[in-house]
Amino acid sequence: MSANIRKVWVEVVCVLLCSSLSGVCSAPLCMNGQNGCHILSLSDLFDRVIQHSARMHGISNDLHSEFEQYFLPSKNQIGRVSRNCHTSTILTPNGKENAQRMARQELTEVILKLLLAWRDPLWHFHQSMAHHPDFNKFSSNKALEMSDMAHELRKGVEKVAEKMQMLGIISNSVSSLASPEAPLPANGHKWRLMKDYDLLYCFRRDSNKVQNYLKILKCRIVPEHGC
Amino acid sequence: MMKTSAEVNLLLLLLVFTLHVKGMRYSPPGKPALTRCRSPEKETFTCWWESGSDGGLPTTHALFYRKENSEAVYECPDYRTAGENSCFFNKNNTSIWVSYNITVVASNALGSTFSDPVDIDVVYIVKPNHPEMVTVTVLEDKGWPFLRVSWEPPHKADTRSGWITLIYELRVKLEEENDWEMHLAGQQKMFNIFSLRSGGTYLVQVRCKPDHGFWSEWSSTSYIKVPDYIQREKPMWVLITCFCAFIFLILTWLLHMNGHSLKDFILPPVPGPKIRGFDKQLLKNGKSDEIFSSLVVSGFPPTTSPNCEDLLVEYLEVYVPEEQELMEESKDLHDICLKSEGCTSDSDSGRGSCDSHTLLMDKFREAKEEKRQRDQEKSRTGTEDQRQQKDWEEEGLTYAYEDMVSPNISSGRVKTWPSLFSPLPQYSSSRHNQKSSLEKAKKHCFSDSLFPPGSTSFSLDQGGQTTMEAIRSSNREFSLRIKQPHLLHSHTQARCQLQAHSEVNISSIGCKQALGGLRSPAPHSAEYVEVQRVNEENTVLLQPVESGHGHIDGCSQLPLGKDYSRVQGVDRYNRLLLKGEVPQEGDCLYDYQDMTGDRTENCYTSSSVPSIQKPTACIHTVIMGHDEMVLAENGYIDTLTARTLPNY
Repeated sequence: MSANIRKVWVEVVCVLLCSSLSGVCSAPLCMNGQNGCHILSLSDLFDRVIQHSARMHGISNDLHSEFEQYFLPSKNQIGRVSRNCHTSTILTPNGKENAQRMARQELTEVILKLLLAWRDPLWHFHQSMAHHPDFNKFSSNKALEMSDMAHELRKGVEKVAEKMQMLGIISNSVSSLASPEAPLPANGHKWRLMKDYDLLYCFRRDSNKVQNYLKILKCRIVPEHGC
Repeated sequence: MMKTSAEVNLLLLLLVFTLHVKGMRYSPPGKPALTRCRSPEKETFTCWWESGSDGGLPTTHALFYRKENSEAVYECPDYRTAGENSCFFNKNNTSIWVSYNITVVASNALGSTFSDPVDIDVVYIVKPNHPEMVTVTVLEDKGWPFLRVSWEPPHKADTRSGWITLIYELRVKLEEENDWEMHLAGQQKMFNIFSLRSGGTYLVQVRCKPDHGFWSEWSSTSYIKVPDYIQREKPMWVLITCFCAFIFLILTWLLHMNGHSLKDFILPPVPGPKIRGFDKQLLKNGKSDEIFSSLVVSGFPPTTSPNCEDLLVEYLEVYVPEEQELMEESKDLHDICLKSEGCTSDSDSGRGSCDSHTLLMDKFREAKEEKRQRDQEKSRTGTEDQRQQKDWEEEGLTYAYEDMVSPNISSGRVKTWPSLFSPLPQYSSSRHNQKSSLEKAKKHCFSDSLFPPGSTSFSLDQGGQTTMEAIRSSNREFSLRIKQPHLLHSHTQARCQLQAHSEVNISSIGCKQALGGLRSPAPHSAEYVEVQRVNEENTVLLQPVESGHGHIDGCSQLPLGKDYSRVQGVDRYNRLLLKGEVPQEGDCLYDYQDMTGDRTENCYTSSSVPSIQKPTACIHTVIMGHDEMVLAENGYIDTLTARTLPNY
């Protein structure tokens, strides 16, 4: 009898502790105005994100060039024209006017969507690169790095969005995309049919889009430096 | 209807045939090719192509494009804007991130030819225009100028909205050089250039590139002239200064190397004292005894005569004046003698008769001072004979002087000098009372230089002394003069001075014993004779001085060798010529007695002149009397002033 009571009592204590701890862990460590905590400004966040996206685009460009050396695309022009990236369903502005005409929130959402859409395909691309006999290790590492950077970039953009929401620049509708379990678009699995080369081609374009959109956002929101 | 088509065909065939017949080949146009497509601002783009062979026929080109994921073929909207064989796509027709499939078709009458299609994405064909508004200015940074280059992005490129991100690059070179200096400026629109050449002219150009695209063309050259911030005169002065410093360093190095010799040249060192044979260490040691002992040179004063010939005295002149002359000139003689007693130095330097005489006097005086005193005492007490006897017994010469001659010699002794150096005629002074029959005699005196004083056995103690009897009443004086051609310093003063009384009263003194001894001729080496006194009869009493050891006891020794006891004569110069002869048996001694007495001459020799034979008595040389006449121990004879003796 005493042993059972003891067990129950220990469990209760543990639950209480865990709840308290979880509450502490979930809370952000650095609040606004807290001493000893350096708060990044939105401009700095944007700069970080832009640099990140630039690096990601560079890697994708390098991989694409390597692919063109080893695997010349077929002269089937029709096939190339009909290449269709799985992210084509995402409406993205194709011109400067269109991009400037789009609202910041939409633009931010587009960025996030793009980054989200490429999360799984990049991972699989890396997997296929690693097992492909024609590619060396450097290319496989680049694919892995590209995948990680896409992931990190998305996180960063989410941070920027939160910052902007906090600053009142954008509304709170963006947060809906932040959940990791966002439902994929209908053609989300289209990418499985893509070849590796087409996948690289599409990703190179999308990374460029992301970088460009981020720059537009930055120069629109915080135009102090480099605009 | 069919006819028209057939006709057309026939016509065409005919035309082709005709053309073919004419020899011209017509063909469809060649395949054109797209050369490039460029977008300056990522908003529009332009494609250029080049056509192939036209096939001889006018050809036309057309560009067609297709967009991605669309089957619609569109033709180039603008063939003119971009020039010949170009197609310009404006903003409305340009889509970014969309693949274009562009094809050019060349067509002529015979056909058309399609070019190869080209897929482009505008994003990757961006080539912006060159930067605009490139300005270069010269600014100063702490006195040193630098160039500041600033520019603006091409006006078409929209960098402000972030649509395009450009990075810039500039290049600089001097006007006269060929190589450019590249500088990557990044996204900034300003750049500084340092390390400029003074007075040079620089060329600056800038270009840009999008993050993924092509480099633009270089901007137009900007010229800038850098002012002369380094004066032209300075390098020359700097060069001159360096040259002078270099020369100065070389001179310093040379001076350092030759410092000692140069210092000696400018400031010659003062020579230190050097004494030959003197060790400087003695001075440093500080012992005075050693210093003084080392200063004493053993060779000084020279006690040995290096050359006997130099000290040779040729002859001794003994002047025995006549009686009258003596009487007349007694006083003169006296004066002369006195004068001679004084320091009459000859022409020889340092060898005046006085010097050596003084030295000799001093030396002898010390030794014989006692004896002189004794003699003086004796002379005062007893007669001269007695005294002479005593003197004879004693060592040293005895002198008979008249009181008037010199107060010192009041005893009446005649001052004689040892005639070791001068062969004087020997007189048997004892017991001869001479009348005034002194003959002129010449005697040669040899200076004592012949015999080194140290080595000579000349001593005043020699035997064979011819003592002269004290002049009792003679007032005669005569003096002997020994002519000495050479005289060494402190040497060889053979001064024979005999002062005779006016009354030559020479009496033989105390040599009777010696006379006896004379009979037995003994070898005698007496080269010199001493004049002891002159008696009244003008006879000179001489006494040979033995060169050997003389002793009172040995007075009986006969002088050996030649004895110059004979006066041969007196020359016209009033010099007494002595004749040297070997003593032989039978030589007798004259006893010179007083003038009053008779003179007995015995054994008159060939010489007409009564020879004066010296007794065989030992010569005792006594120096007494006048200080100047004191002879040294070794018997120096001082010079005397002689008067000519009357010839007999």
